[in-house]
Amino acid sequence: MGKLSKATAIGAVLWVLCLALPAFLSSAWVSIAAIFAIYAIVALSQDVVLGRAGMYDMGHAVYFGIGAYATGILNVEFGWPILATLPVAIVAAAIVGAVFAAPIIRLRGDYLLVATIGLNAIFVLAMQNNLAGITGGSDGIPGLGVPSLFGLQIESQNGLFWFDWVFLGLVLLLMRNLDRCELGRALHYLKQDELASGTLGVDARKTKIIAFALGAALAGLAGTLFAVQISTVSPSSFVFTESVTLFAIVIVGGQGSISGVLLGTVLMFVVPQIFRGFADYRYFVFGIAMVAVMVLRPQGLWPRARLRAKAGARVSAGAGVSR
Amino acid sequence: MGTFIQQVINGLTVGSIYALIALGYTMVYGVMRLINFAHGDLCILGAFVGLTMLSGAIGGGHPGPALVFLAFVASIVVISGAGIALELIAYRPLRKADKLAAVVSALGASMLIENGIMLVWGPEVQVFPAGLLPATTWHFAGASISFVEVVIVLASVVLMAALYLFVNHTRFGTAIRAAAIDQDAARLMGINVNRVIGSVFIIGPALGAVGGLFIGLYYREAYFTMGWTYGLYAFIAAILGGIGNIPGAMIGGLLLGLFNAFAAGYISSSWQDAITFALLIGILLVRPSGILGERVAEKV
Amino acid sequence: MFKKLLIAGVSAGALMLGSGGVSAIAAPGPIVFGVQAPITGPYADEGQGIENGVKLLAEQQNAKGGLLGRQIEVKVCDDEGKAAQAAICARQLVDDHAVAVIGTYTSGAALAAEPIYARAGVIQTSDGTSNELLKRGYATWFGNAPTNSAEAKFTAHYMVDVRHFKSIAVLTDHSSFATGLADSVEKDIKAAHGHIVDKAFINAGSQNFTPVLTKLKSMHPDAVYFSGYYSDGGLIRAQMVQLGMKAVFVGGDANQNVAFGKIAGTAAQGAIIINVPAPQDLPYPAAKEFLAAYQAKYHVAPPSIYTFTNADGMRAVMQAIETTKSLKPAKLEHYLHHMKNFQGLTGNFTWNEHGKRVGSPFTAFEVQADGSYKIVYPAPSAG
Repeated sequence: MGKLSKATAIGAVLWVLCLALPAFLSSAWVSIAAIFAIYAIVALSQDVVLGRAGMYDMGHAVYFGIGAYATGILNVEFGWPILATLPVAIVAAAIVGAVFAAPIIRLRGDYLLVATIGLNAIFVLAMQNNLAGITGGSDGIPGLGVPSLFGLQIESQNGLFWFDWVFLGLVLLLMRNLDRCELGRALHYLKQDELASGTLGVDARKTKIIAFALGAALAGLAGTLFAVQISTVSPSSFVFTESVTLFAIVIVGGQGSISGVLLGTVLMFVVPQIFRGFADYRYFVFGIAMVAVMVLRPQGLWPRARLRAKAGARVSAGAGVSR
Repeated sequence: MGTFIQQVINGLTVGSIYALIALGYTMVYGVMRLINFAHGDLCILGAFVGLTMLSGAIGGGHPGPALVFLAFVASIVVISGAGIALELIAYRPLRKADKLAAVVSALGASMLIENGIMLVWGPEVQVFPAGLLPATTWHFAGASISFVEVVIVLASVVLMAALYLFVNHTRFGTAIRAAAIDQDAARLMGINVNRVIGSVFIIGPALGAVGGLFIGLYYREAYFTMGWTYGLYAFIAAILGGIGNIPGAMIGGLLLGLFNAFAAGYISSSWQDAITFALLIGILLVRPSGILGERVAEKV
Repeated sequence: MFKKLLIAGVSAGALMLGSGGVSAIAAPGPIVFGVQAPITGPYADEGQGIENGVKLLAEQQNAKGGLLGRQIEVKVCDDEGKAAQAAICARQLVDDHAVAVIGTYTSGAALAAEPIYARAGVIQTSDGTSNELLKRGYATWFGNAPTNSAEAKFTAHYMVDVRHFKSIAVLTDHSSFATGLADSVEKDIKAAHGHIVDKAFINAGSQNFTPVLTKLKSMHPDAVYFSGYYSDGGLIRAQMVQLGMKAVFVGGDANQNVAFGKIAGTAAQGAIIINVPAPQDLPYPAAKEFLAAYQAKYHVAPPSIYTFTNADGMRAVMQAIETTKSLKPAKLEHYLHHMKNFQGLTGNFTWNEHGKRVGSPFTAFEVQADGSYKIVYPAPSAG
């Protein structure tokens, strides 16, 4: 990979600094920071599908939910330790993502968006209807345990904060490397020009399914973290409006841009927490802000920098990288 | 048999309302390739504006039917104005941008309208006054149909036929169709594309306002979160019929209404929405451009 | 100099005695009551009702000199009815040093907040009725609404034993509250040897209930029991009449709202609603006063009975603080778990060791032509 880029180095330093946050924040804000890490992972996973592969997925909360339900069901009803449920959550979400994606990815833009909205509605209804008698119906599954590492229970909010932030760090690392690996480049060309990418030897269908599965897998990971953080899994956390928020985070922040997606998560999740005092005016103003941001910066607040020449050099340069 | 006829009536009534709202989605999409996610909320805003006319001091002395007419006029005027404002502020600056920016702008506008309704009219359920329209109900063959239901179905059919004629048999309608095929080409042919887009944001919301007020008059209640529910159903209706296709939206609305009724009545009420969405996905896979095919102009 | 010190010491001692020694350790300043409620989103009316009720009670109490000589301060946190936000709210209100938190409206949000309050020793009183809330044995939990199981028993008894309905259709939406209640009612009807012809679902807020009602009509039930909310219930009743259904409408407690009669219009007449007595039907002056004060202050009727049950939760906590002259969680919990016959706005009740509300006088009302309620069971003279 050569030497670290400047952006990566800054990111790594910031991440380390953030680990010290619990020393300065009240417990409410530690939990907000912890949930921020979880939403940031889901948003990054949404970005794999939406921002990088260019597939209009407005039902991403499904995969977030599958991870959470996998952990909830295995932990509460089968007594598995939390950490043991994690790989199952990731794999289950990835499989469902691939299975859902296989037939629908050939749908064009807006139709894909509608199909994913439909999948989200079906998923929520299935959970509410207590599918197979294990999803707990509308109440969901309460009373999850906490993860334990080497016999040590991660119980406190600070502990959970570090737990979530370690995973966020890993996901950030993965996303950074995605930019530089073959899949990342294939996705990029595919998004710019599907036809041209074919001439470069990119198998569009396979690449799209892999991207969907990868996005779903990361969302599944976040689902486990979410289930642990609030110790309850219920259908209302994974409804269509949550998918809409995830979708908006990516677009507001900047498609395909790690820093953009993180900034988007701050704006769409953390900022509303600050303005809780305004209560009933909050989302009215929020709506205005969303329109204003899009009108003033349609490409997102922190758009993706152009792919580095070095990273793109291995594939032919004439692949229409520019927008 | 009575049950079957009744389900058809049930489906057609609500389907007409879906169709009226779906037209707004489909016209905007046809011309701009934009899913106007704020459209459902605009329609419900129409119901609230109508409600204020119907129950406010303004309508004090008028007899029922005249008052209802006034309410429709007020609602259409206000919502068309809101539609134009929405286009100017939230969509026009984004016409050349990535289409997803406009989608998120629409989502923001939806949030703004929904919460605006809550701030103005309150979060509680608002009830429409009773006795504005005759409460007559006809019974036949074990089924029943009410005066309001007949009005809704007839008025929707008339409005949709009028729209169809307008789009297909007038000069301005031709301009709309031309802009739907290719905006740049239309501009070269001397068509004022901005005026076409403006008109679409008058006609769509106006029809939606009628649909919204029908909801209020039929069910006699309105609350601020309703926009999402109706918006989503109407949007599905537009997709079912082939988005961008005006007759498609009408047929999609009616089919969705009927399908919902049969799913709840004959298959399973607990899985009603899942069945509807599964059908939607199925249709998209088999016929990705909807039942009548997408886009207005190419097909007519 | 010495004299001044003495006076200061004596007055300080008097203060300490007067306040049971609490003020010596607690920081001076107001006593904080938290409100965790859905102020925005689909349950905004209920959430804002809870907020209004709590603020009204605080204002009234402060006008009387507050609690233990200290003013009450209300801190509100909007949980949007969502679990994740509820968990954040709980931590926020704990950080705000709330003695007790009133609300929230939805069971799901209450569940997510419950362990956080329990660990911090903050009393939580909510109308959440999910059985899960009781299962975990947290001493800080006090459910202020009668549980589903109590209401279901009364409902089944009324429909099967009192009205002798031969066949009953059960209708519910997908919310955790309504499905829980419908499941309990279904179980109790079967236990009372009643016959259920169908259990069907509506999509709350979709307004178009004629398809499922048409199906139920073809099954000719004697009664349709609906466990969901008034905004849907009123419409269901209206659409039943419009379809020419003869079945009696029996609604669960969430149907008791002024809007029910307005939405159903003339069709409302004859509908049965089962709930604890409405405030205006209660003999207690406190309930009537509260209702009048609420309407005078906010110029709107409370959205539902849950404004009152949550107000009861707060009144009980205030009574506990005044009686024990303490803000210590353990003392307050002990008092609340053991108080005998608390006089609530929604009837007299007590809490058992799990924080379950016990002793709720359910009644069946019939909606009259003018939209008012008449108690039909138990007979008013007996009850």
